[in-house]
Amino acid sequence: MSENLLDRAKDALTLAKKAGAADAATSLRRSREVITKWRDGKLENVSDAVSRALSIQLYVDGRYGSMSTSDLRKAALERFVGDAVAMVRALAKDPQRKLPDPSAYADRTRDDLEIFDPKLAELDANARLGRVRALEAGARGGDGSGKIVSVTSSFTDYTGEIARVTSNGFEGSYQHSYVSEECEVSVKDSDGRRPSDWSNASVRRYADLPASGVTGRDATARALARLGAKKVASGTKTVVIEARAMPSLLRLLIAPLSGSNLQQKQSFYDGQVGKRVASPVLGLSDEPLLGRGLGSRPFDSEGMTLKRRALIAAGNLEGYYLDVYYAAKLGLSPTTGGPTNLVVKPGTKSLDALIGDVKDGFLITAFLGGNSNATTGAFSLGFSGFLLEKGEKRQAIAEMNVAGKHLDFWKKLSLVGSDVYPYSTLRSPSLVFQGVSVAGT
Amino acid sequence: MHDSKLHRRDLLLAAAAGLVGCTGTTGTPSASPPKPAPLPPAKTTPGLALAYFAAFGVDEKLIREGLSAALEKGAERADLYFQHRVTTWLTLEDGEVNRASTSVDLGVGVRAVRGDQTGYAYTEEIGLDAIRNAGATAAVVANGASRAAPESFRVGELPRRFPAKLAWDGVPVGKRLPLLTQLDTKVRAGDSRIRKVSISLGSEHGAILVVDSEGRVFEDLLPMAQLYLSCTAEDKGRRETNGYNLAGRAGFEFFNEERLARVAKEAVARTVILFESVAAPVGEMPVVLAAGASGILLHEAIGHGMEADFNRKNTSIYADKIGKNVAKDLVSIVDDGTLPGAHGSIDVDDEGNAPEKTLLVDKGVLATYLHDSISARHYGVKPTGNGRRESFRFAPMPRMRSTYMLPGPHEAEEIIRSVKKGIYCSRFTNGQVEIGAGDFTFYVKNGYLIEDGKLTRPITDVNLIGNGPKVLERVDMVGRELEFDDGGWTCGKNGQGVPVSLGMPAVRVSSITVGGRKS
Repeated sequence: MSENLLDRAKDALTLAKKAGAADAATSLRRSREVITKWRDGKLENVSDAVSRALSIQLYVDGRYGSMSTSDLRKAALERFVGDAVAMVRALAKDPQRKLPDPSAYADRTRDDLEIFDPKLAELDANARLGRVRALEAGARGGDGSGKIVSVTSSFTDYTGEIARVTSNGFEGSYQHSYVSEECEVSVKDSDGRRPSDWSNASVRRYADLPASGVTGRDATARALARLGAKKVASGTKTVVIEARAMPSLLRLLIAPLSGSNLQQKQSFYDGQVGKRVASPVLGLSDEPLLGRGLGSRPFDSEGMTLKRRALIAAGNLEGYYLDVYYAAKLGLSPTTGGPTNLVVKPGTKSLDALIGDVKDGFLITAFLGGNSNATTGAFSLGFSGFLLEKGEKRQAIAEMNVAGKHLDFWKKLSLVGSDVYPYSTLRSPSLVFQGVSVAGT
Repeated sequence: MHDSKLHRRDLLLAAAAGLVGCTGTTGTPSASPPKPAPLPPAKTTPGLALAYFAAFGVDEKLIREGLSAALEKGAERADLYFQHRVTTWLTLEDGEVNRASTSVDLGVGVRAVRGDQTGYAYTEEIGLDAIRNAGATAAVVANGASRAAPESFRVGELPRRFPAKLAWDGVPVGKRLPLLTQLDTKVRAGDSRIRKVSISLGSEHGAILVVDSEGRVFEDLLPMAQLYLSCTAEDKGRRETNGYNLAGRAGFEFFNEERLARVAKEAVARTVILFESVAAPVGEMPVVLAAGASGILLHEAIGHGMEADFNRKNTSIYADKIGKNVAKDLVSIVDDGTLPGAHGSIDVDDEGNAPEKTLLVDKGVLATYLHDSISARHYGVKPTGNGRRESFRFAPMPRMRSTYMLPGPHEAEEIIRSVKKGIYCSRFTNGQVEIGAGDFTFYVKNGYLIEDGKLTRPITDVNLIGNGPKVLERVDMVGRELEFDDGGWTCGKNGQGVPVSLGMPAVRVSSITVGGRKS
């Protein structure tokens, strides 16, 4: 399989060179994804997709452009590459556009990252149906199931392969896979609202899925806990953010670390390297080589060898996400253009222990909408969760909002939990912040 | 790709990579003049005449084979959705247009339906073996005796709501470049504090072909013109970013001088005003929403909840409210697929049904859900033409098109004057909703404090959060002037993004939670 895909990527490279590109890089992807959806005792939807895509980066007469296509018919592809080269010739020159220096391709890991599960090929329709049935059985098997309005379960299995070649000597390919299951449960509240919540698991290998029933049970427990939610008074409070809610907040925190944000003056991190940007208890790193990590890979989208890098160490800013182009524009060395596995360094306390220390505050279990300004660092996010009083979880709350400015907010981080949420490429435990502005009534 | 998809329903003003904070605009409806092109009358095969897809090898035999395969296990209905789309982006940064990207999507999705169950597969190869395989994969949702493909096919007429006068495949890149450089010059000339400008100009050229097991055939051309502009200004060490996002179903003619001049002027004004902004207030208060992009309120507070799949599944907060009062009688809300040239408009939905102007709320009373063919059958009603999909890679489901409120009795000035202490909001970037609980948010990029009936200091970057039915009840003033936003809004649901539009007269919401911050 690998040889074949690499060979076809090389064919595309030859085509690009023949069409007039001085340099080029080609990436070819092939995948199969099967999604099985089950609702209230019945199959809802099954989709089976075998897909492929070719993308080419073209460096023509000091100019740059890119193209991608799913139409790989020989004649159509030749014409498309020819058209794309002609398009690039019409652009302004850009001296900063180059392939990575070949030294960036060196020392690629030879370790097995365990990101591919060959056993997924053996999955059949019955096995998939077994998983979604088990999700629903788990959801309906516990106390309070009489309040359930609907249970939707889904199971997804994906296998794929990526091959990349460049005209300055890079060649690489890898296979990857994931399986995920998700269960969403809606329950009926006394006032006609139908709050819902979900639980999921997403892993590289089938054997790493949780035991049957766990995900469904968790979804129902979470949905039932939403009953009777209300909003309470605005204030400045201690806020615990549950690990599962952290990925959406982390995404906002790291977006301005990108080279394009920095170079375009749309980053509150501009000029902050080496400076304190967060509380000393925050450690944040990019870890591409984690075994079975959902974001793990041996090389990045430009072919550069990936290795672990600190982004924030003891609250100090240590590094950016720089691709080859924006690094050149900024006069810096490229790192890699975006996150692989983003890891918040865990602490030692469980979520219950973190909650136990809070006299008066909130537990945020989910964010709802909101946004963040990468230039100024101002953010405002809706949330739902629970009121915390005297170290205990009380009233469910909803329809509330939290706001701040990143460079202030992250300095208010006081404690880091031990409960890392594993089913995301952004891996964080629960975090505790002091003195946060919360809006309600 | 690993993130959870099931529970997502959100709305984003599409932005170029890395850009946060582009906003839409009020102003005139984005539209090419409504001149439906004359069409040949519907005709019957043999000799199925496909104007666009014949060149891709699509003929009656291929269609028949695909449908037969999808029906071979006894599905009640089946359809094929062919798509060809060429998307091209040109980007200007630091004064130069030095980046282009172009992509081609070509493929066909095959769907088999039994009751409310769906089997789906797609292939990126247009050929007999490929379509037979996809059909056989989709067919497994059923479990019975084979049904026959239709005897004959009829090519249906379409209204052509967005004819491209200058079709994108005839506009070379060299002709597009001056638009970006001229716009860059205009923005920089607009204010000496502008430090960075980036502009992306996008085009889509292509077509879809929908064929179903009733023998209905629709072939439609789908042009799209898009522009993202972002600018960053600096004043005394403080930096602010804002921009403009513009989109419509049109050809190159969309980018006329008047429109581009307005984009440049507005983008600068929206950015430099942020230097005067103060922290937004915290807590419940009256909010005045400006005419135009404030239609985001409707999209989140009621639109998603009216999509009939959620109601069929009994998971929407609106599930048993048809015929009931949900708002004051000055509130009427529609979802309309028929606006000429709008980003969210369609000639035919993605399963071959004609779009309507669908009344969601009629003088305060909940009127009609948004249906695809599955939910229409479930409820025993006519489909409303809301069956839409992101591409051939996805099965359709009920989705909004252009959602807006009809005009009411109040003057915009009068609405602002009525508020003693609150906020006024005019530009938004994104919103999100929980269908079942009804809680929703939308994010304000530009607004003002209202103090004693007057707009005073500007505010920005504040999220509003409320509960759909409760907020609808609190809409107690509605302006006379309905305006449509010309932004490129993308609505996300279950992992699929589709283009939509928003419109609104100015309204007052008597109370909603404003998520400002105590500094």
